[in-house]
Amino acid sequence: MPVLDAHLVPAIDGVAYGLLLFVVAAGLSLAFGTAGVLNLSHGALYAIGAYLGAELSDGTWGGLLLGLVVGTAAACAAGVLLAAATAPLAGRGHLAQALLTFGLALVVGDLLVEIFGADELPVHVPGALDASVSVLGHRYPAYRLTFIGMAVALALAGTWVLTRTRAGAAVRASADDPQMLAATGINPRAVHTGVLAAAGALAGAAGVLGAPIIGPGPDAPDTVLMLSLVIVVLGGLRSLWGVLLAAIGVGQVQTLGVSVAPDLAPYLLFASMAAVLVLRRGGAMAAEGGAGPELGGGDRSVSLRRVRDRIGAGVARAGAVLRPVAGRRGAQVRAVRRILPYAVLVGLLAAVPSLLDAYSVSLVGYGLALGLVAVSVTVLTGYAGLPTLGQTAPFAVGAYTTALLADEGITVGPLQVLLAALAAAVFALVTGPAVIRARGTTVLMITLAVGELTSTVIGQAKSLTGGTDGLYGFPSTEPFWGSEPLADERSAYVYVLTVAALAVAATWLFLRSSAGRLLTGTRGAEERMRASGHPVARYLMVAYVGAGALAGIGGALLVTVQEYVSPADAGFEIAALALLAVVIGGATSVVGTLFGVGLIVVTRDWLAGIWPGHGQLLLGILFVLAVYLLPRGLAGLRLPRAPGAADGPSGDTPYGRPPAQRTAGAGATEKTGGAATEEQDDAKDRTIEATS
Amino acid sequence: MLELEGLTAGYHGGTVLHGVDLTVPPGTVHAVVGHNGAGKSTLVHSVAGLLRPTAGSVRLDGTEVAGRAAHRIARAGVGLVPQGRRVFAGLTVEEHLRLSYRAPSGGAGSVPSWTPARVLELLPRLAERRGHRGADLSGGEQQMLALARALLSTPRVLLLDEPTEGLAPVLVRQIHELIGALAGDGIAVLLVSPSPSLAASCADEISVLTSGRITTRLSGSSAREDPAPLHEALSLSRTGT
Repeated sequence: MPVLDAHLVPAIDGVAYGLLLFVVAAGLSLAFGTAGVLNLSHGALYAIGAYLGAELSDGTWGGLLLGLVVGTAAACAAGVLLAAATAPLAGRGHLAQALLTFGLALVVGDLLVEIFGADELPVHVPGALDASVSVLGHRYPAYRLTFIGMAVALALAGTWVLTRTRAGAAVRASADDPQMLAATGINPRAVHTGVLAAAGALAGAAGVLGAPIIGPGPDAPDTVLMLSLVIVVLGGLRSLWGVLLAAIGVGQVQTLGVSVAPDLAPYLLFASMAAVLVLRRGGAMAAEGGAGPELGGGDRSVSLRRVRDRIGAGVARAGAVLRPVAGRRGAQVRAVRRILPYAVLVGLLAAVPSLLDAYSVSLVGYGLALGLVAVSVTVLTGYAGLPTLGQTAPFAVGAYTTALLADEGITVGPLQVLLAALAAAVFALVTGPAVIRARGTTVLMITLAVGELTSTVIGQAKSLTGGTDGLYGFPSTEPFWGSEPLADERSAYVYVLTVAALAVAATWLFLRSSAGRLLTGTRGAEERMRASGHPVARYLMVAYVGAGALAGIGGALLVTVQEYVSPADAGFEIAALALLAVVIGGATSVVGTLFGVGLIVVTRDWLAGIWPGHGQLLLGILFVLAVYLLPRGLAGLRLPRAPGAADGPSGDTPYGRPPAQRTAGAGATEKTGGAATEEQDDAKDRTIEATS
Repeated sequence: MLELEGLTAGYHGGTVLHGVDLTVPPGTVHAVVGHNGAGKSTLVHSVAGLLRPTAGSVRLDGTEVAGRAAHRIARAGVGLVPQGRRVFAGLTVEEHLRLSYRAPSGGAGSVPSWTPARVLELLPRLAERRGHRGADLSGGEQQMLALARALLSTPRVLLLDEPTEGLAPVLVRQIHELIGALAGDGIAVLLVSPSPSLAASCADEISVLTSGRITTRLSGSSAREDPAPLHEALSLSRTGT
């Protein structure tokens, strides 16, 4: 028994930690599973509770109670605001919500630091609980035991409400069929608000009570959110028992795991998550049907419905009548419209060295490197239907490969790019099988695990990668064999721009080719593609490996630009930014994505230079504005005269034709490119699948 | 009393329903028959508020409800039994009843309100299935449950969208009887169905819906005496005129 004995304390800690996470994750699961809101600001709600609790509880019972009431009420109110903020996004899909709530989380995080300071607040618990008690011969903090009791009480109360009351029945009915709930006389909007308020209250209460465990500091929102997401993915939606089990499991991994296997500790959480997700075919979220696949491409079919609403049948009919005479002129207009944004972008980028100072030039170069990662995310998310948070992993592989090559004296740029792409492709080939089997939200989480594990490995393998210090001091890249090294920012920029332009052009051509269409077809109607004899898994693998190579090239360029690389260049934040750039850009638009990255880099690094220390706040505001002002992403701005025409009107208009050949009005406002055409069709397919 | 006047509705800018006029007095059954795509469900949805009509009016005992949110229309006294039944898969029969039941908000008037007990008396099969989840019920039981759900708000108007779809003949007969009994209770019933026989067997008035317009109106009694005109009107509508 000595082994057991030695690990008793961490095991109990794990239970306390797990129950804390359970209370938080239950709220997240409730919001996602029944109100359909993927709330990335859930961690911020916890932090609101934690900060207020720490501020108000002064070591007396009254203080703790006051903190509990105020903290819970504040987070509950924030949940109500969140319900109001997400209501206009109904039907826009989960990625739009992710963009909004991620933005709100950044804003709230910044405000909390502004109000309470950047240091973790000290937490005072009532004197009676600030002692230790004896548990099987070990001293153990009384507060934690009390916390276990309170968390169990909260969990039981929540379960009772959900399963035994009329309100709980309404919540479950609303998850199932909100329309019928309305037809029964219950306002679904009220249920939506109620669910988010309850989720907020749970997070707030957890924040107040859990402050001694996960303290009120700048990192708290991210830690809590990340762990809760992991738990929800493992435990599933709507199944509180699943969430409980997963929460206790994660709690144990984080405490008992660290004490039993300290060397493996950094990998344990994400490795075990990846293992569970990969081993359990059709994980919890996938089993929930709709919730999963929607994330991938469902966005588009939903937003298409909005587009349909806006475009009258008259336009569709006029188009059908006019189609035969559209002819060549339409094709030319279409080509120009398709190329124009690229021409503008290339023009802007080409002008950069002569217009901006050296720092800004290298910032734009960094943006290009990140842009390639984001474009690789577009390929996976928008075309292959694999929403990813893991493209920073091949990005890092490419970057470190390049840095190590340079260190060995291999400084020829094209060779670096080629080898970086190759290394990243091999990396993708190895991790691909785990990723491409999953769909929807599960992909997000598996790729998140891949990304986190990769950056952990990089951080741990100090001898090769320099650990968290990163690699630096290697020779500069040479653009050609035998040429001079790229000594200054401007020449490096020109090289980076050239390589990035070639890579983007190659990607663009691929996506416009029939291969790209097969990919889109796979995303939209996978079963149908399978039934038609298409090797879907092979297509996805090709896309994943190609996207990996593209991200690897981005990594090579990153190293050329900043002549330094560290694990922070490939962290979760970068992965999230890449995904959000894609959402801002319009999900299937390569050029929109590049502009999205530009907006993000300008906001975070350039504007923040004017108002130091508030990069996150500005970024948050950018995301929030983008969600409301650019419902179709930047790509939707292309055709101001035909609202939402980037995707064209729907395929199931009375004439049921793909819109690519359709002209509206006098044949001048040609709609869209080939990819969007595919979207029409698969949106239609999805509708058919949904109704059958 | 339900009165529709010039009711026009559609999806995505396309109009499906073109100016439908209908009146369903209390205690009567009005059947709307039509083929697939004629606009039957669109009619029901736009009355129930699941679809916002683009023009026209929906009056409930003289009060305009067109354009209101679905839950407000439901509370104003419109019960819906939707096509495909759409019971809540994860809720038990008991929970359905509890969720749908609204105690009368005073001044309910002459109509005795529907309580879970009264509904279970009418639909005894549900009483035996109290603890079963919606997803675990048979088609007939789900239909009963959908009806119970609609009745528990003590509606003045009941909308039935293809209530006998996919049911065995013995259950179809049972549904006929129920519809008659409910109308006898003073409820105005609007029934839509592709089946002329269902319409003829229980309706007081029959309208034939063709491409979103009412093309023929018949009385139920005349259709029972001689079904030929009704069948003829329907077959004309099938040829797409």
